[in-house]
Amino acid sequence: MTDVILDQVEKRFGSFTAVHCLDLHIKSGEFVALLGPSGCGKTTTLRMLAGLEFPTSGDIRIGERTVNDVPPGKRDIAMVFQSYALYPHMTVEQNIAYPLKKRGVPLAERGAMVSKVAELLQLDELKDRKPKQLSGGQQQRVALGRALVRDPKVFLLDEPLSNLDAKLRAYMRAELIELHARLGRTMVYVTHDQLEAMTMADRIAIMNEGRLQQLGTPDEVYNCPANRFVAGFIGQPSMNIADGTLDETARFRAGSFEIGLDPERFDTRPGPVALGLRPEAISIGAGPIAARVRVVEPTGHENIIILETDGLGALTARTAVQVRPTVGETVQCGIDADALHLFDGADGRRRNRDDSMVTQTPVGERAKVKESQ
Amino acid sequence: MKMSRRILFNVIAWGLVLAVAFPLFWMIVTSLKPGFELFRRPPTMLPETVTFEHYWRLLSETPFLLYFRNSVILASATTVVVVGIGTLGAYSLVRFRYRGRESLAFLVLFTYLLPSVVLIIPLYLFMVKLGLSNTITSLVIAYTTFALPYALWLLRSFMAGIPEDLESAALVDGASRLGAFRDVILPQLLPGIISTALFTFILAWNEYLYALVLVNSDGARPLTTGVMTMLISAFNIEWSLLMAASVMMSVPLIIVFAFLQSYLTRGFGAGAVKG
Ligand SMILES: Nc1ncnc2c1ncn2[C@@H]1O[C@H](COP(=O)(O)OP(=O)(O)OP(=O)(O)O)[C@@H](O)[C@H]1O
Ligand SMILES: [Mg+2]
Repeated sequence: MTDVILDQVEKRFGSFTAVHCLDLHIKSGEFVALLGPSGCGKTTTLRMLAGLEFPTSGDIRIGERTVNDVPPGKRDIAMVFQSYALYPHMTVEQNIAYPLKKRGVPLAERGAMVSKVAELLQLDELKDRKPKQLSGGQQQRVALGRALVRDPKVFLLDEPLSNLDAKLRAYMRAELIELHARLGRTMVYVTHDQLEAMTMADRIAIMNEGRLQQLGTPDEVYNCPANRFVAGFIGQPSMNIADGTLDETARFRAGSFEIGLDPERFDTRPGPVALGLRPEAISIGAGPIAARVRVVEPTGHENIIILETDGLGALTARTAVQVRPTVGETVQCGIDADALHLFDGADGRRRNRDDSMVTQTPVGERAKVKESQ
Repeated sequence: MKMSRRILFNVIAWGLVLAVAFPLFWMIVTSLKPGFELFRRPPTMLPETVTFEHYWRLLSETPFLLYFRNSVILASATTVVVVGIGTLGAYSLVRFRYRGRESLAFLVLFTYLLPSVVLIIPLYLFMVKLGLSNTITSLVIAYTTFALPYALWLLRSFMAGIPEDLESAALVDGASRLGAFRDVILPQLLPGIISTALFTFILAWNEYLYALVLVNSDGARPLTTGVMTMLISAFNIEWSLLMAASVMMSVPLIIVFAFLQSYLTRGFGAGAVKG
């Protein structure tokens, strides 16, 4: 059992807080992606798990053990760095063998273990080269090999694919998924690429400005985003979100646009709110909303259409290839009332009532409790 | 037009090379001429008879070898101390975060700007107090004080070029901090260490002023001052011996240079561009 648990972990650099009161429970064997925009604290979190950075407060547990004071080499983890961090003066073989050497594996056994990993990652031919003589993809595989060779309990990966071209990235994504299935090890995977997170991870932890926004399966974070940030961050093109108000009769109003909301499905207390609509929930052709077509982007298998409306502002719609209005034309569009997302106007919290499946993290609340103690 | 400019450029370049090389050439030639040929007019460009008698006399009749030994000890010890402290100091300046780190680095450079003459007397009194006057150790300490700031800066720019992730990776792979330093940092730092060592060695090997003031016994005297006091008096300069001594003083440096030249140019490049 190697659960990885972050318990109210906080990391400050001087007066700047990089990670706020982070609670995260990663189950044994799980593939969890840490996803968020640049500078949100993903690498810092990973480095704390690795023991390269120490939390200002809070506990980190790996397996049964609290590892706050355990140095990186004794945590039974392996890490792949964004920069690969291959040792430039060592050959591929020496690079992969280094963790074994440092752990006192006898020379005789090392060779066989390195060969096994080299074969797995198709590095046989490159064993005697120095990192400089390798392509980006090959370097990436060596970095992976160095992590794999020791069979650690937990893998920590910091944007390992971000330096590869699109094709190689897709290939390595599949390789990593397969590798995870075969090894069954706990993996924590940092990325700012939502496609990577959505396709690879069992669960995704979405972070923003040092705070965990939501922890959930790819389905959950897409269909039931816990707040306005997650809603806007997940999905390509991103969700349309319009600010407006709810009145006493549960009607949402934004300029000339209005729609009644079912109090069974939404928390319809009156006040400022925001209404979210995925691009695929907008249909063009018939409907109550008049919109001017601003941009049409055909992608081959679908069209992305940017519309200008009175009440809802700019809307992005995703349509079938056949639907292809001309730019400047005015069209009627409808919206799928079952696919609406409602967010609080003040704190951005989700206000749909279907939320039994959403793992909501009360943003900032535990931190407040802690401060008042 | 272009042609004439190239010719001009070449003439100037070769003129400079000759100007620099001629004293060296003359030094070697003079050391090989017998005494009677030395002051002949017009002077002979190449010696008519080649003799090694000056070298022989220097080695057998003078304390040259003692001075040579002192210089080797002095320059080597200074190099080891400066590179040792410089490497660890540069590591600290680059890797650890503490208050005043940047100002400390600049303060270090500032000490380098003080004219060394200003420091001689205080340093001399200091050595006397420590009971170190007239020892090689006192010179090692003195040379360290002015070689270290530059060494720190040179090594700092090299160190800054080594990605921190490398060290982190070594730590995760199971190395101790010291182990990571030895396995990963040191090999990366080697060009920097070599050029710093060369710089320090040359500086200590050629230094004259401090050696003159701080040391006045043969047991601790290095080559620079030793040769001067031994061969130059108010009435007479032993030109042939002086030149032979100069040749033998230069040989170790030339050998070292020849082997490590590529490191040295790389090192000065790094110091110039980064930092
Ligand atoms: N050693 C440090 N000292 C001061 N601030 C730091 C340090 N390390 C990170 N930070 C700050 O903490 C914040 C989070 O950094 P972190 O590297 O974790 O971001 P990230 O989510 O990994 O971003 P990216 O996607 O760009 O890699 C950033 O604002 C960064 O400037
Ligand atoms: Mg990062």
